[in-house]
Amino acid sequence: MELQVQLLMNTLQIGSVYVLFALGLTLIFGVMKIVNFAHGTFFTAAALIVSSVMIWGVGTMGLSIWLSYILAFFLALAVVCLIGFIVYIFGFQHFLKDLNGSFILSIGLLLLLNGTYLILYGGVPRSIPTVVPGVVTFLGASLTLQRLLLMIVAAVITLGLYILVHRTKLGLSLRAVAEDQEAAMLQGIPFRRVALYGFLIGATLAACAGALMATVTPVTTVIGDDFLVKAFIIIIIGGLGSVVGAIIGGLLIALIESFGGYYFDPSTATLAMFVLVIVLLIVRPQGILGHAEK
Amino acid sequence: MLKSNPGLALCILIALAAIGFALFSGDPYYVQVVIWVFANAVLAVTLRFVLLIGELNIATAAFFGIGAYTTAVAATIFEWPFVISLLAAPVMAGLISALFGWVTLRTKGPYFLLISFAFTEIVRLFYTKSEFLGGNSGMIGMYPPMALNDYYPAIAVTILAAILFALYAAERSNLGRIFKAIQNNEDIPRSVGLNVIGLKILCFVIASTAVGLAGGVHSYTNSVIAPADFTFFVAVLALAYVKIGGEGHIAGPIIGATILTLVGQWLHSFGPYENIFYGAIIIGVLLLMPGGIIGLGDRFRGRSTTRRDPH
Amino acid sequence: MSMKKIIGITGGALLALFSAQTALADETLKVGLSAPMSGAAAAWGLGFEYAAKQAVEKVNSEGGIKAGGKTYMLELHAYDNKYNAAEGAKTAQTMLNRENIKFIVGSIGTAPVRATQALSERQGVLLFNTGWGKSIKGPDYPLTFTQMNTPFEILGPFFGYIKGQHPDLKTVAMITPNDATGQEVEPVAIETWNSLDVEVVSTDRYERGTTEFQSIATKIANSNPDAVDFGASPPADVGSIMKALDVLGWDGIKVVAPGTSAGTLSQMAGQAAEGTYLGASADFQGDSASEAQRTLNEGAVKEVGESLNAITISSYDAVMALKKAIETADSIDPKKVAETLPTIIFESSYGPAAFGGKDVYGSPQQILIPVMITQVKDGKAVEVGRVAPEELKERLK
Repeated sequence: MELQVQLLMNTLQIGSVYVLFALGLTLIFGVMKIVNFAHGTFFTAAALIVSSVMIWGVGTMGLSIWLSYILAFFLALAVVCLIGFIVYIFGFQHFLKDLNGSFILSIGLLLLLNGTYLILYGGVPRSIPTVVPGVVTFLGASLTLQRLLLMIVAAVITLGLYILVHRTKLGLSLRAVAEDQEAAMLQGIPFRRVALYGFLIGATLAACAGALMATVTPVTTVIGDDFLVKAFIIIIIGGLGSVVGAIIGGLLIALIESFGGYYFDPSTATLAMFVLVIVLLIVRPQGILGHAEK
Repeated sequence: MLKSNPGLALCILIALAAIGFALFSGDPYYVQVVIWVFANAVLAVTLRFVLLIGELNIATAAFFGIGAYTTAVAATIFEWPFVISLLAAPVMAGLISALFGWVTLRTKGPYFLLISFAFTEIVRLFYTKSEFLGGNSGMIGMYPPMALNDYYPAIAVTILAAILFALYAAERSNLGRIFKAIQNNEDIPRSVGLNVIGLKILCFVIASTAVGLAGGVHSYTNSVIAPADFTFFVAVLALAYVKIGGEGHIAGPIIGATILTLVGQWLHSFGPYENIFYGAIIIGVLLLMPGGIIGLGDRFRGRSTTRRDPH
Repeated sequence: MSMKKIIGITGGALLALFSAQTALADETLKVGLSAPMSGAAAAWGLGFEYAAKQAVEKVNSEGGIKAGGKTYMLELHAYDNKYNAAEGAKTAQTMLNRENIKFIVGSIGTAPVRATQALSERQGVLLFNTGWGKSIKGPDYPLTFTQMNTPFEILGPFFGYIKGQHPDLKTVAMITPNDATGQEVEPVAIETWNSLDVEVVSTDRYERGTTEFQSIATKIANSNPDAVDFGASPPADVGSIMKALDVLGWDGIKVVAPGTSAGTLSQMAGQAAEGTYLGASADFQGDSASEAQRTLNEGAVKEVGESLNAITISSYDAVMALKKAIETADSIDPKKVAETLPTIIFESSYGPAAFGGKDVYGSPQQILIPVMITQVKDGKAVEVGRVAPEELKERLK
């Protein structure tokens, strides 16, 4: 019993960040119909910025850890938003709905940005001081307070996004564009502007995930790559473009990672995820909640 | 036929010159570079071949690896003769691709892209976990027979060039035209009673068989292979060759592969800066020359370019 | 004028310029380096290149290498092998056939090293490498030399020391990345533990690049072994697992055999890393380190941002061995140098060192340097034991 609770707890810890990251990717796909291989670089950028601002804030400025982290978090979001804006205006804007073109553009960006991070930060992993110390025990399962807080923040952001997509005017435009871009334009929805917003929201979600992960894991210049591969699996499982699908997919992958890693070994769990994807695609090509291709 | 097609004649001349260079130059480094150029050209052309039916096939990397591993197993474990071990590669790649294509080609677009990506990762993880394939350390000892050793580079270039010409012929045939028709709108070929799925699988199998043979050649060229050589990134680079050369014509990926391989070799000395330059070149060409280098040539000649259509 | 002609003329002029310069100075001897400089293992390559650069500068500033009546200045050419065989082969082609390099003073990564070896042995080029597999050495590969301690050297004395400190140690759980190094360490480690009457209760592998270690930590904590052997896991991963184990309340003996940085480990795991035994994280800043190691280490921290470890410092030792061997052989023929290497005693960063290991590998191709056992204390690696190879002691007599 204790063990199962612990494994479920692990699932939620891992899954919460997967969900955030995959949501951004699926949102960008939904609106722009592109597969963004550079999505992991947004995550990495945020984690790196948090690590250096924390060092500066705590070390040089003598700020409290809390204040430094909040400062670092929002600075990371702002910088990633700016990177996203530049990348969109000069790059992706010209490749809307061009699957192959945007794919190779994102690969170019991935090489360029990852290479730049390596020059700026070096290959040495960094970690930041603990923001919230302490461990809590729940039904015999233990987790750090920091992880618990991370899960709560991730859940709040996910809920926020859900409300944004399903209850606001912007969300309506995003969904309309994702559903049928031409019909949306006929309705007077400015496609290009909506695509930009979608892209920026997606990038910001990746940044949130990166800034949160920086508190619990060593930050390297390639940290986003592992998340990217997992996120692809998640959005295929959930259905490309589906918000709820990304949430379910994220938790499912975390479940496999947590239980599979325990009962078999982590490497086998990774293999199992890929096999699951192939099997699922054969049975249900449009993912759990995706719409069939027209 | 050659008279009416000076471009083809030129290509045959270039291929012959490359084979001659591999035979007589005596400079091992530049002979290697020629082999790399041809191998990358085959990767790019096979990737583009599946693009004819409109699908971006990341599994190009997987079938390149399957070919390489098949030859390695045939040569080092079964100790089959050189030619047989080389021919085993396309057979194996063809068989597996027929199965894979039969199962997955019902999906398309981003789903097929991601499924082929997942497949490439599965195959790579399978190698790392298979003791008899050497696990992560990979396989060693694929050497051409002693008598052929000096001629091997020329043999490799000949095989790779033959693959390129064969794929060119396939594209120009009626079959190639049907593939393109499927890309444009698959309902039309279907309406005249063609088995669209079957044709898609055929296209996929042709490309995978070709790249499988190239993988077998790679095995003997390098003598050492390991799982990390066959990540999805191989296909990503191949797509870069296609995009930079231009996808409108089969010459595009060949030109793209040639230029980027040479540039890559030059960038090799730049350590951590290598990826930055490489990424910048890809982005730059993509933004400044949307039709690739081929498209640029068309534009100079005042022809209508195959520009993508911005919405 | 055709393009080709222009290139030809400019090229010729440049060539003339270069040869004019080299005629004035001494002869140049190119040495190569092949290591990952991008991706997850970039830190190794960058540190490795730094140490080699320092060694080359040291040799050159002390008047170069003298052989056959000539003086040679070293010139380092370092390439990124991206940690895979295909790039390793390209790097090897570039070094051997484009730059005509005859001496490779360092190579990292099992797959790229084997790809390099396939070419270097055939073309008569001397190859120093950090490969851990037994299959990489032996009479079939007379020009290949290992420049650092491998599990065959480290694990016996290292595990033996730990067992001596903790006689109650009965069970150990093993966790290692699913990569070449991990697969090579695992069987040697299991065999060594078993020979000490310690049972290996579980072996787990994870993919490189994994960031979440919760499940593995839960598994280990639940089986509650006396010790955890982290195999070939890099320090950042070890740190993450330790942190997770600490939260779950497991507190046993922590064992990390390969080249790893105590600094990174402590930074990641904090208090949880205290007491960890390290097999190849030589303490290059403490009192037990040599003068050369301290200087190198300080420089690396400034330039690369991380302390050196047993892997990255080994390129320095290879250059020193090469200098001594060339001067002793009085020749820059790689075959003669390779024949000389097992006969000399040279000044490595650890002090006097040699090449040996014929009993284990069938031919003397393994560097003989002490195994340094360190333990993490207050966030630093502190040397707790040093075992010099018997063979080296014999040779130094």
